[in-house]
Amino acid sequence: MTKKQIIIALAGNANVGKSVIFNHLTGMHQHIGNWPGKTVERAEGTLHFKGYTINIVDLPGIYSLSTFSIEELISREYIAIENPDLVINVVDASVLERNLFFTLQLIELETPMIVALNQMDMAKKKGIKIDHKKLEKALGVPVIPTVAPSRVGIYDLLQASVNIIEKGKVAPSKVRYGEEVEEKILELINLVGRLRLPYPARWVAIKLLEGEEQIEGKIRQMNPKILSAARRLAEEIEGIHGHSCSTVITSERYEIAGCIAREVQQIVSPIKPPKRERLHGLTTHKLLGYPIMAAVILSIFFGIFSFGDCTSGLLSDIFYGLEPVFENVLGTGIVGELLWGGVVEGLIAGITIALPYLLPFYSVLYFLEDSGYLSRVAFLMDNLMHKIGLHGKAFIPVILGFGCNVPACLGCRIMETKRERLIAVFVVTLVPCAATTVIILGLVGAFVGVQWALLLYAVDLLIIFALGRVAFKALPGEPTGLIMEMHDYKVPHAKTIVKQTLFRLEEFIKMAFPLIIAGSFVIKLVDVLNLLEPIADALSPVTVGWLGLPAITGITLIFGVLRKELTLIMLATLLETSNFAAVPGFGPVQMMVFTLVAMLYIPCISTIGALVKELGWKKALLITVFEIIFAIVIGGIAYRILLLASIW
Amino acid sequence: MTLPKKRMKKLELPLTRLRDGERGVIISINASSSHRRRRHHRKWGFQKRLEDMGLTPGTKVTVVKSAPFHGPIELQVRGSRLAIGRGMAERILVSVER
Repeated sequence: MTKKQIIIALAGNANVGKSVIFNHLTGMHQHIGNWPGKTVERAEGTLHFKGYTINIVDLPGIYSLSTFSIEELISREYIAIENPDLVINVVDASVLERNLFFTLQLIELETPMIVALNQMDMAKKKGIKIDHKKLEKALGVPVIPTVAPSRVGIYDLLQASVNIIEKGKVAPSKVRYGEEVEEKILELINLVGRLRLPYPARWVAIKLLEGEEQIEGKIRQMNPKILSAARRLAEEIEGIHGHSCSTVITSERYEIAGCIAREVQQIVSPIKPPKRERLHGLTTHKLLGYPIMAAVILSIFFGIFSFGDCTSGLLSDIFYGLEPVFENVLGTGIVGELLWGGVVEGLIAGITIALPYLLPFYSVLYFLEDSGYLSRVAFLMDNLMHKIGLHGKAFIPVILGFGCNVPACLGCRIMETKRERLIAVFVVTLVPCAATTVIILGLVGAFVGVQWALLLYAVDLLIIFALGRVAFKALPGEPTGLIMEMHDYKVPHAKTIVKQTLFRLEEFIKMAFPLIIAGSFVIKLVDVLNLLEPIADALSPVTVGWLGLPAITGITLIFGVLRKELTLIMLATLLETSNFAAVPGFGPVQMMVFTLVAMLYIPCISTIGALVKELGWKKALLITVFEIIFAIVIGGIAYRILLLASIW
Repeated sequence: MTLPKKRMKKLELPLTRLRDGERGVIISINASSSHRRRRHHRKWGFQKRLEDMGLTPGTKVTVVKSAPFHGPIELQVRGSRLAIGRGMAERILVSVER
């Protein structure tokens, strides 16, 4: 039997269980990367079924195939241009109408497809009965009922896919609009039919009537006359309906989706409001919602920090216990020192971040996301986030930032537009992460006073608000508000969470480890070559002259680039004491200034890596340089204010 | 001649003015408050987004509740639950019977 290759794309709304189906289909053979040149995740996997090698591409979860967000554009271009052999449209049976709106758009793209009618169990619990055979007839494509978490229907899905591919194209029903719209569509089909476009002519005609910029741009290059004809036709429709043509078309498309949904589903209301409805009411409650949220977030942070602190201590003990063994093998010469101090210590640094902190962080994050709680948090915090020019969804990466800036930066992908992403990433790099907290509490908290540590936090939050607002005002583009579906609470699928967590961890390791190791190697090299003192001297106009700090702090701030808490560890090493209060010339004022600078001055090297990944070199460099200068300026001002205030 | 005791009036209000639990029908969405663009093809922004999420003219929406401190509004629309930022909700005009 010859091996045959097929490509199947999974498409559907957000939170319909697409990734669970993806995981069931592909098992261990997965690969997650980015779409070329984009920061949108691309998950791919392979499986073998009845002699076929099937490549599955999991498209991002979206609500429409217009070009509002990068995800939508990517999905559309992938389906239209790369022509997968089949699209499996995963549909949430419990929110049928909204999901069918997307299905209709897929049908319009005239791609061979089948529908996986997922979350049938949720629909049943909500009192919704769906006749999938009827739906199949209405859509003209095969419909397979599935319950992804318990693997119901997964085999049928594959069987149906192979059937379609072997039998050739099925004929999906045409999405028919109102008489006057159809007329205009036909007129335009005649015009665009002759152009060589990678899209179906009817679809192009509809998009032209909707006035979609991407398609308009392409047509303008080919034949600007068609464009003006389309605009004239669109204005005619506008004249008839009193709404813009794109509104009319979207409206009618939703109307069709609604009709089909009403036709195939039967609603028997459940006897009492189900538990998850009450849970939703409670977690978005005007009064109770906030304390519940605070309790959830604080307990997560407390849990992760205690776990992380304990585990990372244990791990470093184990690794540093290996130092004598290592020295025996490589000696204590320059080579040995470079290898241990540069490479191995960098590796240890990476591992003691990744395993104890990031692993639990990501799993909790995905648990909350899959269950639906994160969207409730976004709902509650929307107003506050608007103060810094963002909307509710940005609260999640910001909160993540208090743990570690790296996942927080990557988490900014949930923002829809480039502009929002940039503001969110920028704000996140200013959030004091766990390592910064170590410095604030370990230095200011321990030697100056807890109230002063809290003051530093307050100052940082003020700075975040101020700079967030500046970025919001300064960046071009229209700000977007919150538009989000709050899907029903559900029990997350454990295996999917584990997979997502492991992929995130792998991503972090691939991105940050080389940077941390290279960074610590360079610094060790500088150390071995006895260049630290000259560098500290070179920096002294800034550190001593402007910031009023001991010259030695210049060195520790350089080390802090690797991991921020190294500023404190190196300070203790270089001063040969951890009782900083006893160091002459390093009083409370210096401690405050030093901590303030360490808090703001640079995102650590792993965060810079994440910035490069999300925003590209130019913007990453810009943010880094800005934050260094900003920290120095603020530090110097704080030094002078504290001197004037002469509190100590 | 007697006046009816309770007269239901049709009102046109922004979505934000609806009471919790009240139901209305969307009349229109104002594209941009500052400088309204007349051309149909220049409004692929937030309005398109709202429409794609099912908030088209003629759609019935129920306001479930709004978050405190002028937060977003929770809506029941087309059998699903949406959260809409207040700034956007203000630009959605609905008709209600009171």
